[in-house]
Amino acid sequence: MRYLMTTKPSDTAPDEKLYAEMGRFIEELTAAGVLLATGGLEPGGIRVTSAGDEITVTDGPFAEAKEAVAGFALIEVRSQEEAIELARRFRRIVGDGESVVQQVFGP
Amino acid sequence: MIVPVLPDVHRTVDAAWKLESAKIVASLTRMVRDVGLAEELAQDALVAALEQWPVSGVPDNPGAWLTTTAKRRALDHLRRAQRLERKQEQLAHELGQRQERQQGPDARPDDEPDDVLRLVFLSCHPVLPTEARAALTLRLLGGLTAEEIARAFLVTETVITQRVAAAKRTLAEESVPFELPDGDHLAERLSSVLEVIYLIFNEGYSATSGDDLMRPGLCLEALRLGRLLAELAPREPEVHGLVALMEIQASRAAARTGPSGEPVPLHEQNRGRWDQLLIRRGFTAMLKAREVGGAPGPYMLQAAIAVCHAQARSAEDTDWAQIAALYAALTRVLPTPVVRLNRAVAVGKAHGPQAGLDLTDALLTDPVLRDYHLLPGVRGDLLAGLGRFDEARVEFRRAASLARNAAERAFLERRADELGAAAPAGPVLGQAAEEFLGRDDLDPATSRSYGQTLRRLRRTLGDQQPLASLTAEQVARVFTTTWGEAAPATWNRHRAAVRSFGAWASLDDLTAGLDRRAGTRPRARPLDPAQLDAVWSLPDLPLREETLWRLLHESGAGATAVLALDVEDLDLDDRRARTRIRTPASVRPRDGRVTWRSGTARLLPLLLAGRTRGPVFLSDRRPGPARTPEAADLCPDTGRRRLSYERAEYLFKQATRPLDPARDGYTLHRLKPAPGDR
Repeated sequence: MRYLMTTKPSDTAPDEKLYAEMGRFIEELTAAGVLLATGGLEPGGIRVTSAGDEITVTDGPFAEAKEAVAGFALIEVRSQEEAIELARRFRRIVGDGESVVQQVFGP
Repeated sequence: MIVPVLPDVHRTVDAAWKLESAKIVASLTRMVRDVGLAEELAQDALVAALEQWPVSGVPDNPGAWLTTTAKRRALDHLRRAQRLERKQEQLAHELGQRQERQQGPDARPDDEPDDVLRLVFLSCHPVLPTEARAALTLRLLGGLTAEEIARAFLVTETVITQRVAAAKRTLAEESVPFELPDGDHLAERLSSVLEVIYLIFNEGYSATSGDDLMRPGLCLEALRLGRLLAELAPREPEVHGLVALMEIQASRAAARTGPSGEPVPLHEQNRGRWDQLLIRRGFTAMLKAREVGGAPGPYMLQAAIAVCHAQARSAEDTDWAQIAALYAALTRVLPTPVVRLNRAVAVGKAHGPQAGLDLTDALLTDPVLRDYHLLPGVRGDLLAGLGRFDEARVEFRRAASLARNAAERAFLERRADELGAAAPAGPVLGQAAEEFLGRDDLDPATSRSYGQTLRRLRRTLGDQQPLASLTAEQVARVFTTTWGEAAPATWNRHRAAVRSFGAWASLDDLTAGLDRRAGTRPRARPLDPAQLDAVWSLPDLPLREETLWRLLHESGAGATAVLALDVEDLDLDDRRARTRIRTPASVRPRDGRVTWRSGTARLLPLLLAGRTRGPVFLSDRRPGPARTPEAADLCPDTGRRRLSYERAEYLFKQATRPLDPARDGYTLHRLKPAPGDR
């Protein structure tokens, strides 16, 4: 089963150590065949909303950067527990903050 | 509302274990140099977690906890063993020091990636039977429990437990070292590893038995193992080839089963449901394989074929000529019957169904494919493409009867149904065989023996095979693939069964393509109409000879049975007689009767000349004083004895010598009616 883990940025700025640890973590998960895709995300992004016949496209909002999504990882695991365990490891590396783990259905 | 997820401790332990077990077992194996012991020690750590975590709570870093605990167990073991072996003491000491240096608050013990690779080579070692390799690999590298492996392979847990235990024992007994194979053996050892991974993948992808077409869990395990291996052995093109192949095949997982679990063939799949992420991963793996270089091996070629399919936007866009060419290359490096069958499919698409069908003809005699449902499945497809629907239907039914997977069986039945109402002219093989064996005049032993032969015939040719189109060539093919290597007695027994069945069913000589084995006489062919005319026109034909010959020809019965007839057995009005000798292979009438037509009917009363008892066919002479035949073989009225087979044969040969180009004369056997002339 697949899970998408999205992560909001934390207050602490990433340092060399974090980059190195994160690099190792990603390598390890890739090697283990668990990590299918991963990447960073620009904060804010473009919002497309629809209401009735009207579709509105807006930039941002950028105001609350803390809530902006900053990264994602698509993982393929055997169980929800495996997904949680990997999310725990990830959180231990990045420090304070929040990630959301959602099961992906399909394609 | 936010609901905290309360961890199910057992499931958390299990998840942590599965993520770590390969590394744990691998490094423990390096420490204790015995994979069986290493796994036991690692299992101890797992048990400890199951005991402690429910009480103490799940540790912050469950994986590291398991690793540390397992290594501690291994060290304890080595320290205990040090009393016995100084060398091990030294080793344990060094390891202990290294271990302590690594024990930071958050330290993840430094794993040697090659340890896991060593473990892969160990658990896929060629000294182990294939099934054991697969089970051990899932156990040691995937961290699966015996129960999980058993469920995946649809066997009992005991079977897996024993298989794994036996494998570990074999590895210990053979002293298989925990090392990477050296250059000379690398290719062979690697192909063993790839074989195991692909076997696991295929067991999941095309579940060979059971009700589900796929067991996704196994595919995932295989994919993970393959991806792991690609990182561990990046210089091996075939590893990337295998990964590419599996990624692309897995990309079609969702599209290849329909709503009710039935298989959807590739060209009918909704390509929008192919997983583009996996396809891209497959392409990437393929590029890596090409970068490494070298002549493409079997996995790379299969992956290249998969890439061709994945690149086609629609089934019509498929580059079949390219695929057929790749299959031609694949048959050179991997000339297995299944690959050749797939090549026939590709050639059928690229160059027309007849070209494909021609390639499958050569496979019909391959023993490996004897019970392989896809051979008749493919032939059904090609025959349908040629508009030969009746033959296609038979092939699909046969394929369905051979398929072990319920969903596939249903699919093949439907293919047969779609070809319209069955219009086989007359009876079909399955039912005829049932009726033949169901007769009351077959003794149980014979019935059992014939049943064995006919089961094989039905299995290979299909129950729906119309009797009318059953040919000696088909029968010969079944015999060659099934009993080609069997002892002559076995061969002859099955041959006799088919002869009996053919005789009962009034079929052409089904065993025409089969010689009796071990130097027995070849079967004589029946006389043709011109030869028979010549026989009937022989000058001065004695009444007895003419009657006998006519009766043999019109009844098709064996000479022994006919010569055994007594006057009391005859029913002149209904032109039939009850036979007394049961020789199943030669007595045609199913109820132990001989019947005749006008020629015999005209002659018989003349021959009997009012006799009411005793043998029908009498010798010319009375027996000499030295020979006293059984009473039943003497005519009570004339005292003459029954005509013997030898004498009758001799007389026929003498009489027909002038007609035989070989000047030997004909045998009585050849008076039997020609096929279709009855």
